[in-house]
Amino acid sequence: MSNVNAVTFTIVVVLFLLVTLIGFAAARWRRAEDMMHLNEWGLGGRGFGTFVGWFLLGGDLYTAYTFIAVPAAVFGAGAVTGFFAVSYTIIVFPIALIFLPRLWSIARAHNYVTPADFVRGRFGSRSLALAIAFTGILALMPYIALQLVGIQAVLTVMGVGTSSGNTFVKDLPLFIAFLVLAVFTYVSGLRAPALIAFVKDTLVYLMIIVAVLYLPAKVGGWGHIFSTAEAHLKSTSPVTHKPTGVFIPVTGNSQLAFSTLALGSALALMVYPHSVTGVLSTKRRAIIKRNMALLPIYSIMLGFIALLGYVALTDPTTAANVKKANNAQLAVPYLFQHLFPSWFTGVAFAAIVIGALVPAAIMSIASANLFTRNIYREYLNPGCSPANELQVAKLAALAVLLGALGFIVWLPGAQKFAITLQLLGGIWIIQTLPAVLIGLYTRWLHPVALLVGWAVGIVSGTAMVAAKAFASPIYPLDIFGVIAPSYDAISALALNLVISVALSFVFNAAFGSARADATAVTDYV
Amino acid sequence: MTQPSDTPKTSGGSRSAIAAHPVISAVIAILIFASIFFSLYVPLYARATPMVGDFPFFYFYLLVYMPVVGIVLGFVLFLQHRLRTRADTDGPGSGEVTR
Repeated sequence: MSNVNAVTFTIVVVLFLLVTLIGFAAARWRRAEDMMHLNEWGLGGRGFGTFVGWFLLGGDLYTAYTFIAVPAAVFGAGAVTGFFAVSYTIIVFPIALIFLPRLWSIARAHNYVTPADFVRGRFGSRSLALAIAFTGILALMPYIALQLVGIQAVLTVMGVGTSSGNTFVKDLPLFIAFLVLAVFTYVSGLRAPALIAFVKDTLVYLMIIVAVLYLPAKVGGWGHIFSTAEAHLKSTSPVTHKPTGVFIPVTGNSQLAFSTLALGSALALMVYPHSVTGVLSTKRRAIIKRNMALLPIYSIMLGFIALLGYVALTDPTTAANVKKANNAQLAVPYLFQHLFPSWFTGVAFAAIVIGALVPAAIMSIASANLFTRNIYREYLNPGCSPANELQVAKLAALAVLLGALGFIVWLPGAQKFAITLQLLGGIWIIQTLPAVLIGLYTRWLHPVALLVGWAVGIVSGTAMVAAKAFASPIYPLDIFGVIAPSYDAISALALNLVISVALSFVFNAAFGSARADATAVTDYV
Repeated sequence: MTQPSDTPKTSGGSRSAIAAHPVISAVIAILIFASIFFSLYVPLYARATPMVGDFPFFYFYLLVYMPVVGIVLGFVLFLQHRLRTRADTDGPGSGEVTR
């Protein structure tokens, strides 16, 4: 710990302690009369308004890994695999406006907590609901682990813990951070990330506004930044003997990659369980709609965060540091450390670390809700009491967080493995779209057809990635949780849809289209 | 597929609102799909020129798109609100007829 900057370190620790206090205090915030219910712990009492909802959804969807991985991808490869994120965060809001208010209404009418709850009610199929829940849990696991990667990037640049060869000592700061996270999630449930999101969003805003106003001038202005980036991306890479990246996607292929990545990521986000958890925690349907118009404010910030990748490219010291570490994910932390005064580096680093806690907590809660409602109550202990359900959910969240920690700390090469899994997670989760989102508009699709389509989508999507992963380097980029070859996600989803529709024709003709449906048409509006 | 037109075949309430105000409903649908399309159709803006300040057009376009989409969606909400209030003031009669 010899080269740790004391000022930076102190500020990060102080802000982390503040957030810890808030996390525990959140248990008393907006207390309900009957706290012994999953609605309270797992959805914050379904009572958040526009203001809290904005902070919560913003803090939920823009993860710490986003702040690290998006500029890293822009730094490494430019517009297609990096800046597509900006297009993605544009279209996600109009798309959300089509589906999420309906999902909110039906969940409120029937007290659904998870997307799988809805599928169970809509299609009356336990096996389809199980498939949805299982996919959700599986897709969230590596995503939670990746929040740790965001924290690790900051800790590495700070020089904390890296000097020791002992795994336990080396990862001690990470260990403490995640243990604290696990405990306050257990105690306070969704109220903790909701309250901490205020601190997170404030710090992130502060960080990015200062970065955008201060940094470009330090490295020679935007004009110089763009021309340096363009020259770098057009230069031939010594490894691949192809251009290093794409500055502006002018070829048809790169444009297709750009827009399918954006579309695939946006569609996957609709069905990621943690975004559903955030949406269902709000008080009224109008709040979801209002936030879809207000959240683009957050995306403006993301646009500038992405451009920090080019700023890092332009600063010779940062570029050299990243090259030496051979890890593009360190681009933004190194940039901050080199150009900001050390106290503000502390603020910015704290923003990233705290930025990891909010989505990690919400994701673990979303996983816990899925496990409790759609596996435990459905298969293991039907008719369990609400108090029992709550206790199982809290323990499940704890298990998920500790599992992610153990995975990252003890498994050798786990970080790369987590990134690959996360990449697959985006492709897997989008396969639940026909049941969850199309199910909001029609029950014509047959549950068995949906199940077959889901399986085919998952297998083909996984196979596509496996075939390419051996050949070419992938930039596994996640914003909102969805990643690079999302083109695979779109192709696999198309296959899934074709099969679901075709088989539905067959099954409906053979067995009739009358099926159990717990929902009524008026529940959706 | 937009909010007010979301259940044309199944929901009596929405159906009456759309039937009563086809123009507003169409405008809402067009605005939502336009805000998706003009971001996904990359050939439209994948150019370096005209530069806006120091920003190549491609980057400028995407950065400016964000606040624009916020404003467009805000306008969509305003229209939806009008649609609902109007449907209500038109009375239950119009809903009954289409049902």
